[in-house]
Amino acid sequence: MDLDLMLREFFTAAVPPRDALARLRRGLGARPRRLEPLADRFRIEASDRGVTRLQPGRGVGAPSHRARRHAERAREELREYLAGRRTFFAVPVDLDGLPEFQAAVLAHAARVPFGEVVSYATLAQRIGHPRAARAVGNALARNPVPVIVPCHRVVREDGSWGHYAFGHAMKTLLLTLERATPVLVGSTTTRIVCRRGCPHEQRVADSNRVVFASVPDARSVGYRPCRVCRPARVA
Amino acid sequence: MDERAFSRVAETYAGRLYAVAYRLLRNRADAEDAVQRALMKAFAARASYSPRWAVSTWLYRVLSNVCIDELRRRRPPPEPAPGHGGRAADGVERADLARALDAVPREARLLLALHYVDGLSYLELARVRGISVNTVKSQLARGKAILRRALEN
Repeated sequence: MDLDLMLREFFTAAVPPRDALARLRRGLGARPRRLEPLADRFRIEASDRGVTRLQPGRGVGAPSHRARRHAERAREELREYLAGRRTFFAVPVDLDGLPEFQAAVLAHAARVPFGEVVSYATLAQRIGHPRAARAVGNALARNPVPVIVPCHRVVREDGSWGHYAFGHAMKTLLLTLERATPVLVGSTTTRIVCRRGCPHEQRVADSNRVVFASVPDARSVGYRPCRVCRPARVA
Repeated sequence: MDERAFSRVAETYAGRLYAVAYRLLRNRADAEDAVQRALMKAFAARASYSPRWAVSTWLYRVLSNVCIDELRRRRPPPEPAPGHGGRAADGVERADLARALDAVPREARLLLALHYVDGLSYLELARVRGISVNTVKSQLARGKAILRRALEN
């Protein structure tokens, strides 16, 4: 059997159902909701070592020049994140003074990759307390820096959202946003692949962007990972 | 490109975009969602469309970006959806080919889909993915070699 012929037949046979095309046509008019303005509806507090609190409100709370810089940087990164231009936070967080258990929960929650979710039970296993799913939930509920430490990526075992400090709708918005935002972006002019949000990635023109699923995938077609954001650590 | 020109282009390509997405993502809902998102992204970026590109190259670039990111989130690959094989006679063969395609690495699988759905040339494929023509050729050859081996077993 000729493979070329088989492939041609196989690929052209995927005809869309007629109602799918009608739905696509209707969907063309839809405008996605812009989340960017939400960045100004948080109050951000920081110490010299990093962001200490993020909560609904306005303005910043920073006792020193250095702390203010952290808070302003957090706001800028938050804005980029909400606009779908950033997949990680580079601003430091200062979680000093939190109980040991909560600190461990937050540290592990921070490692859940962008766009993915884990269950409370899985997180409990990861911190070595497999029966403490509920305690994990309570620790996350008191997360002082939501969004930056992504407690919204932790959901119930059955896939439902569970509690979220900023409400059910916000959890949906954030997870939907992450689903529509690519993580690894290559530049067709430099053939370098970056994490979305890397300063180098942000300079790439829209028409020169290609998305990759993993660093090995990108390498296999002649792209190399960026030396600044080092994407191999995440994908 | 104005709004009306864009919808005409979208109408023309929707079927082919769907075929690529369906063969990569392997289920109707995800394929439809991917095409929808790709068209919305393309629509939002239509001002940055430059006529030195073929429209198809541009749309396939946007669609590939969406599909590849969707595949990134999927590990391990899902079981093949039952009941999409078509008529019984060629159903077996098609299911075999669908399974064999799972063994092909993502980048090669994407190039195969684009190449066989719309007959994109090596040069067009290279432009869509931002890679060299030689890489396109070696990826396609490698993909087909893997398919042949998988089908023989």
